[in-house]
Amino acid sequence: MDPILTTNILNVVYEVSTLAVVVLGLAVVFGLLGVMNLAHGEFVMIGAYCAFFVQAQNLPFLAAVPLALLVCAVLGLVVERLLVRPLYARPFDTLLATWGLSMLLREAVEAVYGRAFRSVATPLTGSVDVFGADYPSYRLLLTVVSIALVAGLVWWFVRSATGRRIRAVVNNPELAGSVGIPVTGLARNTFVFGCCLAALAGVMLAPLLPVNPTLGLDFILKSFFVLVVGGLGSLVGLISGSGVIGGVESVVSAFLDRTYGYTTVLIIAILFLWLRPNGLFPRT
Amino acid sequence: MTGNSGGPLFSFSGVTGGYGATTVVRSVGGEVSAGEACCVLGRNGVGKTTLMRLLTGHLPLQSGSVSFDGQPLDGLPPDRRHALGLIYCPQERPVFDNLSVRENLTLMAPAIDEGRYAAFFAAFPILESRMTQSAGTLSGGERKILSFVRAVAESGQLLLLDEPSEGVQQENVERMAGFLHEAKAAGRALLIVEQNLAFALGIADRVIVMDHGEVVLAGAAADMTEETLAAHMHV
Ligand SMILES: Nc1ncnc2c1ncn2[C@@H]1O[C@H](COP(=O)(O)OP(=O)(O)OP(=O)(O)O)[C@@H](O)[C@H]1O
Ligand SMILES: [Mg+2]
Repeated sequence: MDPILTTNILNVVYEVSTLAVVVLGLAVVFGLLGVMNLAHGEFVMIGAYCAFFVQAQNLPFLAAVPLALLVCAVLGLVVERLLVRPLYARPFDTLLATWGLSMLLREAVEAVYGRAFRSVATPLTGSVDVFGADYPSYRLLLTVVSIALVAGLVWWFVRSATGRRIRAVVNNPELAGSVGIPVTGLARNTFVFGCCLAALAGVMLAPLLPVNPTLGLDFILKSFFVLVVGGLGSLVGLISGSGVIGGVESVVSAFLDRTYGYTTVLIIAILFLWLRPNGLFPRT
Repeated sequence: MTGNSGGPLFSFSGVTGGYGATTVVRSVGGEVSAGEACCVLGRNGVGKTTLMRLLTGHLPLQSGSVSFDGQPLDGLPPDRRHALGLIYCPQERPVFDNLSVRENLTLMAPAIDEGRYAAFFAAFPILESRMTQSAGTLSGGERKILSFVRAVAESGQLLLLDEPSEGVQQENVERMAGFLHEAKAAGRALLIVEQNLAFALGIADRVIVMDHGEVVLAGAAADMTEETLAAHMHV
């Protein structure tokens, strides 16, 4: 196969799979709690700063994983208790509150690290030969890990008892409480889980991104577009939405440049809102 | 579970509440003892379902109190009430449509306990034949049966059923009545909202008739004739 084509295909797969990890956390929280967490991208950003912090301390890169999970789990617990739960079933207020939270988190990180772009060294250097194309090892590893993560979570969601209970709550919250599902606790755990998934994505992506306080904005926007295109109904929608948004952006960016990539994705999202507001796989 | 006070297993008084600032149910009281059935009757829209939601913790009380086995339930969420032994079948959306029949029956139990459901599958073979189908594909009456089976097979001492016979074929309504008689004989308490007078009177020991969110008639079922009840229900 043509090495340039191979590289482009790998880039698309990379873009789609890493985006899916970020959107998964946002979508699971939205599905169960009906809460669109506008600060989701800031959890990605905090995860990335954890990677930076760990390297600045001369600790191994992997130490960033438990650190980011811990920081974001604690933060997620506090946010759920103080912000999300009191505003339950008030979607507009929740949007405002999480938007405020996202600004607060950006300011807080800026106060500590400033606005400068930080770089995180790639833990896995070099490249591997994939069908004749020279592809960076870390990107390849990240793609594989992301696909495994999304596939594993989908499998868990479909097969585990907890996954079944989450689906039960999404389908019929009133009945769920009455059959004995602790809905409040499940909602809290799900929110924290979403934050941790964002943090994990932040750690993984840190070596490939200019780490700075506004890094999360890009992710929340793209995640939004994915949900607009895919629809809020299902995992199939989420994955196809990631495919359309991540795929189109990386293809257009590869052939033209990144600005065109963004513009194209924005246009697609607007067209969807206009012509097919419930996305490809609407919630029934 | 044993009543620690010797009083009724379930009692409520002055129950008042509704949706947001709107009050739908006003000062409703009642009680059910172990081995007894109480039926709540009333025309459409008088607040029977709202009363059930208030008793099961799905809506907050504006005032009044609810107690189970001598213990006040104030502010307890539905899952905690379930853990104490309150088993509730809602009137609308009684099952998880997106889960299979089997998943509906085993959601809270790791593996299906055939012994637990054997008698029900014998009475309602349709359920066993639809085990792997999603509950959303069942007819309205079949969903009510699934919900009924899920609830009656649980071990909780109090069953709260909101119009269990709605949309269910007559022969299956009779089988439901059979299971409810067994539940009473086993010492469980039943609080049932019904529109089907014959079904209700067949199992009720006590009757509460509601109108406009209030109790307009209450007493032993034996003292009431269908005519009296019908008169109160169709004014
Ligand atoms: N979710 C809700 N929000 C606001 N008002 C509601 C809601 N559900 C019911 N109501 C109102 O509360 C009143 C009582 O309704 P409820 O469902 O309790 O009556 P019901 O006696 O169960 O009727 P039915 O026999 O039709 O089941 C009605 O006037 C109804 O319009
Ligand atoms: Mg009703």
